[in-house]
Amino acid sequence: MVNWQQISETQPVASKMLTQMIKQDRVAHAYLIQGDAGTNSREIAKLLTKSIVCRYTRDANPCQACADCHRIDSGNHPNMHWIEPDGLSIKTEQVATLKKEFTYAGVESNEKVYVISEADRMTTNAANRLLKFLEEPGEKTTAILLTENSYGILDTILSRTQVISLRPLSHMEIERVLIEEGMTADNARLFSIVTNDLTKARELDQDEWFAQARKLVVQLMSILRANQDEALLFIEKNWLDHFKDRDQLDRGLDLLLLWFKDIIYLHVENEDALVFKANQEDVNACLWHYSRQDATHILAQIMNAKRELLQNVHPTLVMEELTLQMQR
Amino acid sequence: MKFVIQRDLLMESIQHVMKAISSRVTIPILTGIKIEATPEGIKLTGSDSDVSIESFIPKEEDGIMNVEEITPGSVVVQSKYFPDIIRKLPLKTLEITTDEKFQVTITSGGSEFHLNGQDAMEYPQLPVMHTDNSFELKNDLLKELIRQTVFAVSTVETRPILTGVNMRIDDQHMHFVATDSHRLASRKIPLENDQSQLSFNNVVIPGKSLAELNKIIDDNEDEITISVTENQILFQTKHLYFLSRLLDGNYPETSRLIPEQSKTTVLTKTKELREAIDRASLLAKENRNNVVKLETKANDRLEISSNTPEVGQVTEEVTTDSINGEDLKISFSAKYMIDALKIIQEDYVKIDFTGAMRPFIIKPNENDQILQLILPVRTY
Repeated sequence: MVNWQQISETQPVASKMLTQMIKQDRVAHAYLIQGDAGTNSREIAKLLTKSIVCRYTRDANPCQACADCHRIDSGNHPNMHWIEPDGLSIKTEQVATLKKEFTYAGVESNEKVYVISEADRMTTNAANRLLKFLEEPGEKTTAILLTENSYGILDTILSRTQVISLRPLSHMEIERVLIEEGMTADNARLFSIVTNDLTKARELDQDEWFAQARKLVVQLMSILRANQDEALLFIEKNWLDHFKDRDQLDRGLDLLLLWFKDIIYLHVENEDALVFKANQEDVNACLWHYSRQDATHILAQIMNAKRELLQNVHPTLVMEELTLQMQR
Repeated sequence: MKFVIQRDLLMESIQHVMKAISSRVTIPILTGIKIEATPEGIKLTGSDSDVSIESFIPKEEDGIMNVEEITPGSVVVQSKYFPDIIRKLPLKTLEITTDEKFQVTITSGGSEFHLNGQDAMEYPQLPVMHTDNSFELKNDLLKELIRQTVFAVSTVETRPILTGVNMRIDDQHMHFVATDSHRLASRKIPLENDQSQLSFNNVVIPGKSLAELNKIIDDNEDEITISVTENQILFQTKHLYFLSRLLDGNYPETSRLIPEQSKTTVLTKTKELREAIDRASLLAKENRNNVVKLETKANDRLEISSNTPEVGQVTEEVTTDSINGEDLKISFSAKYMIDALKIIQEDYVKIDFTGAMRPFIIKPNENDQILQLILPVRTY
């Protein structure tokens, strides 16, 4: 079970703010915890609830062993109310039941906590009803709103809550989470670097297009090694066929960028940092082909290509130019 | 946990506690019935968190053994399946056992059920009776108190505290007050001397809970014990405990609303007046507020009228016993008036008016315990 010490490893600022408030018994009436997917905002909400409700809270940490703590974990605590979107959004009726719930005295103790997860998905009506109730909080009522996108929250709600921003996860943390979820280490490394968003990384894992893109990068590199003359043809026929719009081309360039980075990593014998671990042999084969200087030069060219794409240069031209640079 | 019990007794208890269980609860454990075995007997609990009902089956009653072979323990079983299983068991007695993984085994004759239960620790902890803040009332008196006040609670959620009935004890009287801010119903009863040291002020019981309680308790002269804790109120009859959460917040001060003196006093037969207003309201129904007009006339007569241009108009004349004070023309909601008169059992009713724009008081004649207040409607 998590405690504040564990939270502080990934979220030092948020955990310090919250523990201080609990220790000084100055818990605000409403929090908005904002953090990307994977920043375990739910765990933080549960822990905060426990710290408030548990009677044996010592030094901000709840005991994690009493009936109160157990029931918060299982969702059976009568003084904690957890609202999740019903379908696509959080509906007015859900806020209405919540509201009714809080006109009553607590079932057991007086401390009441309500958690609204994905609060940005409240309908405008629901949000406005909630507003009334954030304005006039009960004596020992604490609201915890969770969101991944604080811009989706009404300004009027935002201004009535204390916003706790969670730090986005680093590559390493995302990689660790993905591996914990059962993704292979190779994929986890790649996805965590390509995107720094857990949900997007999970999507990429399911994405046919991305798998194919990866294959194309490996093919392009082997063509560049074996018969360079066909490289332009390959770009024309296969590459541009797969990477259609600007975003997709940009993705493709990112992958190439990572590949040449890998070549440099291998040159400096830093194998741990390798992104295309599964294709280590292919990367290794490129070592003979590209010196460190070459690879650095090509990295600069890829960056240049990316810039040109943004400047609306014709994609075919950008790719052809880059391919010519890579043919050496 | 283990015990052997009479099926009919268990079934009766289940039916009691099922009244509190709702299928639409946010807390998953509340879809279950809690069964608790102690050396004294078996206790069942059902709850939707607003209202909880506990039913107790004593081990032995009047020399008859109800429950045998008790090994103490507790478990929560699914209320969706448990009642039907018990109802359809073949024998008059059944045995319930549980193991440490909360597997419930129900055996009776040749049939054996295994049900997945849940840990009773997960179930909300309900307050227990404290003797120092409890008092006793007769069943029928409590029912009367409820009936005479609960109709006036607010049904809209704009001021949630008004959806409850305020219970107050001071100077040896217990007061029940309900208002929706357009009308007020109050009833007071004297308490016996030994209970006079009790004092509650801000106890507000949800009207819905009281209506439910009214259905559950029998109309007899048995004693019911009422105990108030910080968050809940407990009504305890012999084997049935009814708990309700209280409403959170301060009940508005109502005593100041009641006018001290009156300008016009009407004394009349309750039933006659009620029926007249009822008839007058027939045509007023089309009107949004169900408004009727009351006018004092010479010779102690009252004229009640209603006029809806699209439908027609009605005039009712009531001969009263006496009208004292100034002449008066006043409009009010017929529905509120009928509600107020309905709960008055006395033959004569006294109405005190203080002008057309001020609230008026309805009391049974020679009975100070009931007081109803209605705000008039402004008409042109």
